[in-house]
Amino acid sequence: MATITCREFLSYLEPWMEGERPQDVQAHVRACAHCTSVIKDLEMIHSEARGWNPSEQDAPERVWTALRELLEQEGLIRDKIPARQQAARGQAPRAGWFAGLFPRLPRPVLAGAYLAALVAVAFALSGPVNKRVNEARWLKGTQISTSPLSAQLNFAEQNSNSYVTRSNPVVAASLHQNLAIVDNYIALCEKSVSEEPQNEVARDYLYEAYQQKADLLTQMTERGENVQ
Amino acid sequence: MPEAEAIRLAQQGDAAAFERLYRLHNRRVYSLCLRMVSNTAEAEDLTQEAFLQLFRKIATFRGESAFSTWLHRLAVNVVLMKLRKKSGNESSLEELTEPDEDSGGPRRDFGGPDLRLSGSIDRVNLQRAVEQLPPGYKAVFVLHDVQGYEHNEIAEIMDCSIGNSKSQLHKARMRLRELLHEALRAQAREDRKAASAETGGKD
Repeated sequence: MATITCREFLSYLEPWMEGERPQDVQAHVRACAHCTSVIKDLEMIHSEARGWNPSEQDAPERVWTALRELLEQEGLIRDKIPARQQAARGQAPRAGWFAGLFPRLPRPVLAGAYLAALVAVAFALSGPVNKRVNEARWLKGTQISTSPLSAQLNFAEQNSNSYVTRSNPVVAASLHQNLAIVDNYIALCEKSVSEEPQNEVARDYLYEAYQQKADLLTQMTERGENVQ
Repeated sequence: MPEAEAIRLAQQGDAAAFERLYRLHNRRVYSLCLRMVSNTAEAEDLTQEAFLQLFRKIATFRGESAFSTWLHRLAVNVVLMKLRKKSGNESSLEELTEPDEDSGGPRRDFGGPDLRLSGSIDRVNLQRAVEQLPPGYKAVFVLHDVQGYEHNEIAEIMDCSIGNSKSQLHKARMRLRELLHEALRAQAREDRKAASAETGGKD
């Protein structure tokens, strides 16, 4: 059988390494020590490199810590690092989502809204200490804790509306449509809470709904500001 | 939390989902960066940058390709961009992978006088040689030979054809072989020098 030359073998080397081995090329490799050693070298390079893989390790934890920080700064993630965790890292805690919601309001109003939210959340998380607690008392408690929050959201909504009317009408319509959906959701949650004041899940949903509205209003305000 | 669920939640800005995706994939991305730049501090920065870009764009991920492929494409681009900046020019991928042949430089010989590599390839030697590869060769070599990706996956990651991926890998291995031979010859010269110095000292 006519075999190929070493120079010709060069053009077969790449497919050879991929497993394509025609008869005449095999014959040349069997007869040529030089080409055999080239193949052996390439195979050794491949197998040595493959051996590196098990030594893969996770990136150091500081990479995630720094990344998380950046994600928060860019507003890409919603829930923030708990204040105590930030304090442990030697940083001042950032303002929560309320700060983004009321950028133009005086600090006392913002603080009041924040406090109302904290009271509401604390109430939501407190749980039924005593199962015999009067349901009416629970309902009243929920209303007391959420009414300042609800009022602040209504106030913020009026502000956001004035911003959004300056933006693209299609965008404004879409935002209003989303707002209507969230308002419906809030109404449903409020109904559930009034029917079952002691149902913690219902109250969690209500606070989640308020949070969604707050996020949406923040977006509306930001879009309005961008248009200005 | 399964990956698909984590992607869906991350698209809504869920912090736990971001962390889940990071934990699932950081090892491969960090390893790729580390192999590409051989410097832990730089590899950490590049890993962070790759994930940052990923999370910025995650809302646009529609699942046309595997999530890991998408992430690796971002990571490879981040690394190549960094290496291009380092080399001080805005070379194309072709320029980064074809240093001699297209520029009409001397074509490297395929064999050369025989020093057998057998037994002389170890992790340190190979790592040194990989460091000297052009970035494009390096990326294909690391993805295929180190990380075990198939050519069709590399083609997606590197945005090239399967044939191109095979060809780049082959050239990368051949270049590595040359570099290892050069290192071996240099070592042999050093050994000879040391031996003759020793002999000279005794005379």
